[in-house]
Amino acid sequence: MMTFEYARPLDVDEAIAAVATDPLATYLAGGTTQVDLMLKDGIVSPDRVVDITRLPLGGIEHRAEAIDVGALATMEELAGDRIVAERLPFVREALLLGASVQLRNMATIGGNVLQRTRCRYFRDAAVEACNKRRPGSGCAAIAGAARMHAILGTSEHCIALHASDACVPLVALDAVVHTRGPAGERTIPFSEFHLPPGDTPEVENVLEHGELITSVEVPLLPREARSSYAKVRDRTSYEFALVSVGVAIVLADDVIRDVRIGLGGVGTVPWRARKAESLLRGGPAEPEAFRAAAAAELAPAAPVDGTAFKVELAERTLVRVLTTITEGER
Amino acid sequence: MTGASGILGAGVDRVDGPRKVTGAARYPSDFSFENQAYASLVRATIGSGRIARIDTSAAEATSGVIAVITHANAPRLHKARAKLMTLTPPPDPPLQTGEIDHYGQYVAVVVAETQQQAAGAARLVRVEYEVEDAALSAEAPGARVETNPYHLDLKRGDVEAALRSADVLVEGTYTTSACAHNPIGLFSTVARWEAGGTLVVHDSTQNPFHVREVLAATFRMSEEDVRVLAPFVGGAFGAGLRVSPHTILAAVAARVVHRPVKIVLTRPEMFTGLGHRPDSVQQLRVGANRDGTLVAIDHEGATTASFGVNLLYPIPMGTLYAYECPNVAVRDRRVRLNIPPAAHMRAPGEAEGNFALESALDELSYALEMDPIELRLRNYAEVQPQTGGEWSSKALRDCYAVGADRFGWGDRDARIGSMRDGDWLVGYGFAGISYGHQQVKCSARARILADGRAVVSSGTTEIGVGTMTVMTQLAAEYLGLSLEDVEFTLGDTRLPEAPYVGGSGLTIALGTAIRDACLNLVQAFLDLADKDGSPLGGCRVGDVVLVDGRILRADDPTVGERFVDLLRRYDLDELAADGESSPPRGDVGTQVKSLIVSKHGHVGRKLVGASKAMVPAGAFGARFVEVRVDRALGLLRVTRVVSVIDAGRVVNEKTARSQIIGGTVQGIGMAMFEEIVTDATTGRVANATFGDYLVPVNADIPRMDVVFVGRPDPANPLGAKGVGEVGFVGIPAAIANAVYHATGRRVRSLPITIDKLL
Repeated sequence: MMTFEYARPLDVDEAIAAVATDPLATYLAGGTTQVDLMLKDGIVSPDRVVDITRLPLGGIEHRAEAIDVGALATMEELAGDRIVAERLPFVREALLLGASVQLRNMATIGGNVLQRTRCRYFRDAAVEACNKRRPGSGCAAIAGAARMHAILGTSEHCIALHASDACVPLVALDAVVHTRGPAGERTIPFSEFHLPPGDTPEVENVLEHGELITSVEVPLLPREARSSYAKVRDRTSYEFALVSVGVAIVLADDVIRDVRIGLGGVGTVPWRARKAESLLRGGPAEPEAFRAAAAAELAPAAPVDGTAFKVELAERTLVRVLTTITEGER
Repeated sequence: MTGASGILGAGVDRVDGPRKVTGAARYPSDFSFENQAYASLVRATIGSGRIARIDTSAAEATSGVIAVITHANAPRLHKARAKLMTLTPPPDPPLQTGEIDHYGQYVAVVVAETQQQAAGAARLVRVEYEVEDAALSAEAPGARVETNPYHLDLKRGDVEAALRSADVLVEGTYTTSACAHNPIGLFSTVARWEAGGTLVVHDSTQNPFHVREVLAATFRMSEEDVRVLAPFVGGAFGAGLRVSPHTILAAVAARVVHRPVKIVLTRPEMFTGLGHRPDSVQQLRVGANRDGTLVAIDHEGATTASFGVNLLYPIPMGTLYAYECPNVAVRDRRVRLNIPPAAHMRAPGEAEGNFALESALDELSYALEMDPIELRLRNYAEVQPQTGGEWSSKALRDCYAVGADRFGWGDRDARIGSMRDGDWLVGYGFAGISYGHQQVKCSARARILADGRAVVSSGTTEIGVGTMTVMTQLAAEYLGLSLEDVEFTLGDTRLPEAPYVGGSGLTIALGTAIRDACLNLVQAFLDLADKDGSPLGGCRVGDVVLVDGRILRADDPTVGERFVDLLRRYDLDELAADGESSPPRGDVGTQVKSLIVSKHGHVGRKLVGASKAMVPAGAFGARFVEVRVDRALGLLRVTRVVSVIDAGRVVNEKTARSQIIGGTVQGIGMAMFEEIVTDATTGRVANATFGDYLVPVNADIPRMDVVFVGRPDPANPLGAKGVGEVGFVGIPAAIANAVYHATGRRVRSLPITIDKLL
């Protein structure tokens, strides 16, 4: 039986110390992924589990131009926030299209940002070749059943997908992750938080061991902005995205003054579509421009057999969202 | 003799419903015993080869571990003999050899004090293999392709000549994916050896007597010394028809540690340990004249199979009987691979074959510019087309007509892509169904107790289909009692022997046996009455009616006696009688005749034509589906389903309807989502969780209209037809046909996922 020490401190520094001092210790929040990884899949076996759910890191604070989302705020709580509904509608849409209401009531925002990939080669200890789990062992997914894998930000060592819905609008919004760790506090821009696999797929983000997300700061959209999140999947509900697109846009006389685009279901990290944004910004809101922007964004895609269809699907989905958002009233 | 309760046909609530929703119904995993240990399984991680070394020391050193059993130390077991043409070939006894022939084969059992200890220790068993190239596709060097594997390749007429002369020919290759049964209830076994060497097993099974037979053979015991209990099973869909290795391993483990042992499979183990619907490839050629008359159908089906188990799995059989067509040939091929043994899963073979045939007829209807229903009507099989025998009943025409009316088929604009709803293309699809008939010998017992209540028994099991409810209704009807006064007990091999719950055959088999038992019981009461001055003296069963616990003279219903009065007069605690049922003679006759015609052509047809026995008919049906397709994004949504089923006499409208609804949902799964994905070199299942293997969720399921048509079928005294599988059939073809109507894209490969519609 896997045995581990369990602690549920009430104080943030105490929690940080409990993890920082033990290289095999880990945090536990909502547990919606962590418990699977530990007990069902058996691929992580911490010797100490520090439950942070009693720490004072919940709640959502409203400021004039941003909200501060406590790391322990749940997905459902954030989706139900009045300001999120008014000023960040695509964040709400992304949250509500993720998981199920039962999971959203447990899952925290900090945990969502840190969620591990759903790659079944990563999550099955019987698979030898997984560079993320066993660095240097290879990647079974590249030649395997890779329908749910990434096409952007991949490397020859790993194509595991970052499957979060919520992170798609967050990366588009230039959210900021606030952390506290043994070395003190720091703020990390969202687009710099997650790391593509490169040569070190086992390193998934910039956190140091023991460093704890305390909150995520999310800038509000301008009042004149429109936003939308679309999720494409075979099943109508309760499935990870094959492709998802989050767009926020400010139009003036059919000219795109500003646009922010995040892509999900395609990236090894929450994908910020900067190429598409820069092509669109200042230009006309018209189909040709949308298609060109989508094609440019997906140009570096490196699909494998199982993911080949996602390039086209991602382009079409981005074009669809841009088309509807620029046509629609909001 | 007829009852007067009027409860047949009514939508009676499930008699076991309250027990299920309150948790009082006990499933196999709910049973625990004093001093019970828990077992976890270790599975092979290669597709082919042998165990070179197995190191159990780390597992054995873990706290709580009682034993680790491998092929090196397992007791020797004996393989149960497979019967000829059986639907339930027994498994190879597990842990008897180090040879591995599929990924997921059990290589060790860890027994510990707690489930967590067993699972943790199982992860510490280290196995080294000598790996060989696994045969995982038909093209692999080690694959073994067998022709006519079931000796059921049949034909009539001259197909090749007729195809050459046909005005119109459609042909295509159709593929279906391997699917997992995935019942919610994790399959479990609790095994307990009792003093005196008897074995008691609680098992998730659809076939308790077969479990008894296999366990007795495995341990070289008498069947009387093995007792299998399975009153409630948390769904099965065919996964529990055969005996799976974990059931044997629970008994092995219990014998080794001299304690009761419980095994509950994990969800990933459910994908490799029970069998699966095998994938299939079908080649179909259909020839017709310009007026829509079918002139020839050539249908070949190939499925994959394991090396060890001979499962009967014909695919194109239904094509032989579905339509009037003078020239038909059906053939099977089996491709042996290094995969886990396949299993029957709801409408095995029939569902796959129907997908190909009903898709091809849809293609033909477009080629002929003819309404798909009109095409079917022009080729309506008035008699069983292979033998010329009369169907016992067939209301397929009504299925078409009622369905078309309720669905609004007449509003369909036949032009492809012509119907729209905003961004969505709308498509209408149709498929017909002629389902086979199956029935196996069955027995039952009926008792009336001194308080006037009846207990009716059978060793069958309730897998969720409504058996308990329907059998309670039937017994109440035949004994003239209220539902509250009848208890149906089941799920114990000490009760009268029942066949597997499967093949859409149990309601007729068991219902008829219960009817027989009830009639015999009433006769037993009449025999008592004969001995004294009872007003019922001299009456036979046919001379009486049964009302409210009374036997009344049919010729004078004011005269009669209560069951309880007769029992009291003879100082009896109860009176009991056994009953039996057998398949109708025509059932076997039809199969034999089909073979004779196949072999001897016109001469055979003349030979069998002399016999007048009717052909027992299974259910017929028509499925109407509306889909919406987002052409740019490939999104597919089913927005309406109308199902019209000829189920003969419907015993319980509510549970029968639920069978059709549940089958439709599962059919949508097969059509749009379900696919066991395996790794090319090992056969490892790459999506063995509910997060990765998709089944429909509520949001995928539209409003479903279910209508029953037809009349009581004379082939059995209930007048019923099985409905367990027909509700699953036809949905994939109807959806694929609707997709074609909406988009012009003919998808001949299931499931129809987004990438196939881009």
